[in-house]
Amino acid sequence: MTDQEKIAMLEEIWELDEGTLATDTVLADVDEYDSMAKLSLIVLMDDEFGVKLTGDVIKGFKTVSDILKLMVIA
Amino acid sequence: MNAIIDLSNKRILIIGASSGIGKQTAITLSQVGSKLTLVARNEEKLKMVLDDLEGEGHDYFVADVSDVAVIESMIKEIVEKDGPLDGLVYSAGVGMAIPFMQSKPEKVQSTFNVNFFGFFEVVRQISRKGRFNPGMRIVGVSSCASLRGDKSKAIYSSSKAAMDSAVRCMAKELAEKEICINTVAPSMTATELYNYYIEKYGKDSKTNKELLTRQYLGIAQPQDIANAIAFLISPAARFITGITMPVDGGLTTC
Repeated sequence: MTDQEKIAMLEEIWELDEGTLATDTVLADVDEYDSMAKLSLIVLMDDEFGVKLTGDVIKGFKTVSDILKLMVIA
Repeated sequence: MNAIIDLSNKRILIIGASSGIGKQTAITLSQVGSKLTLVARNEEKLKMVLDDLEGEGHDYFVADVSDVAVIESMIKEIVEKDGPLDGLVYSAGVGMAIPFMQSKPEKVQSTFNVNFFGFFEVVRQISRKGRFNPGMRIVGVSSCASLRGDKSKAIYSSSKAAMDSAVRCMAKELAEKEICINTVAPSMTATELYNYYIEKYGKDSKTNKELLTRQYLGIAQPQDIANAIAFLISPAARFITGITMPVDGGLTTC
């Protein structure tokens, strides 16, 4: 799966326009990245990648790239 | 001593007895004399709960009630072995937070299988002639989520609301058989589910602080819920049927 495909998944769950996110996008600058967006991310990672995200791991995400690194199919 | 709750020699079936509220309910009911038949998916956990029970005559049965096809044979086998039932506590349940837009049909189905369809079919099967004693009492473990709207709870809340709604209807039909049925509606309780919640959001998170503002008596202990169940499952509650009883630390007053 390419980075672009992973980014498209994030844009879909956060209901962002295509092309809004890039690998170096700072999450703090994304208005839509709120508690529900984080919950959506938890569900996506569990459903699609079998990754269980914890609060501490999510707090450590600074850029989109940090998330992409965990979007790996086991 | 004039104990209000005395379940001496009453055979109570507890579904979802291996952890959380179900486990604490098993321990509590054994302390007031019940003979219990415990049901859950995990045999090792069931055996550990059995070790914690007081009294004798307890039994267990390994089953996954999310598969409603197994319920009829399970109930037949339990009644043949342990005798007709005096009570049922249905505590099996799942409750993940899932945003509405990610609530795909398979997620709705799997939650309803455990929280609602399993409950519905167990009640139907134990209410057949010969499978219960007069005065049987049933308590389903619902949730305050059934009474309130919240983000990410559409599946969970509706599955519990379905339970509450069914109980109001079942109560009218089952009264003819001298069966009473109710639900308890706990708010956030210190179970594994709460630990998961804390792990996800953090104890000092805004989400948890807001929860404690609404649920102003604090986080419920499993014993708080077990006590309410023990009352509703006992003859002391003989005049109560078809209700949902909040056990919620004030949540539904907010």
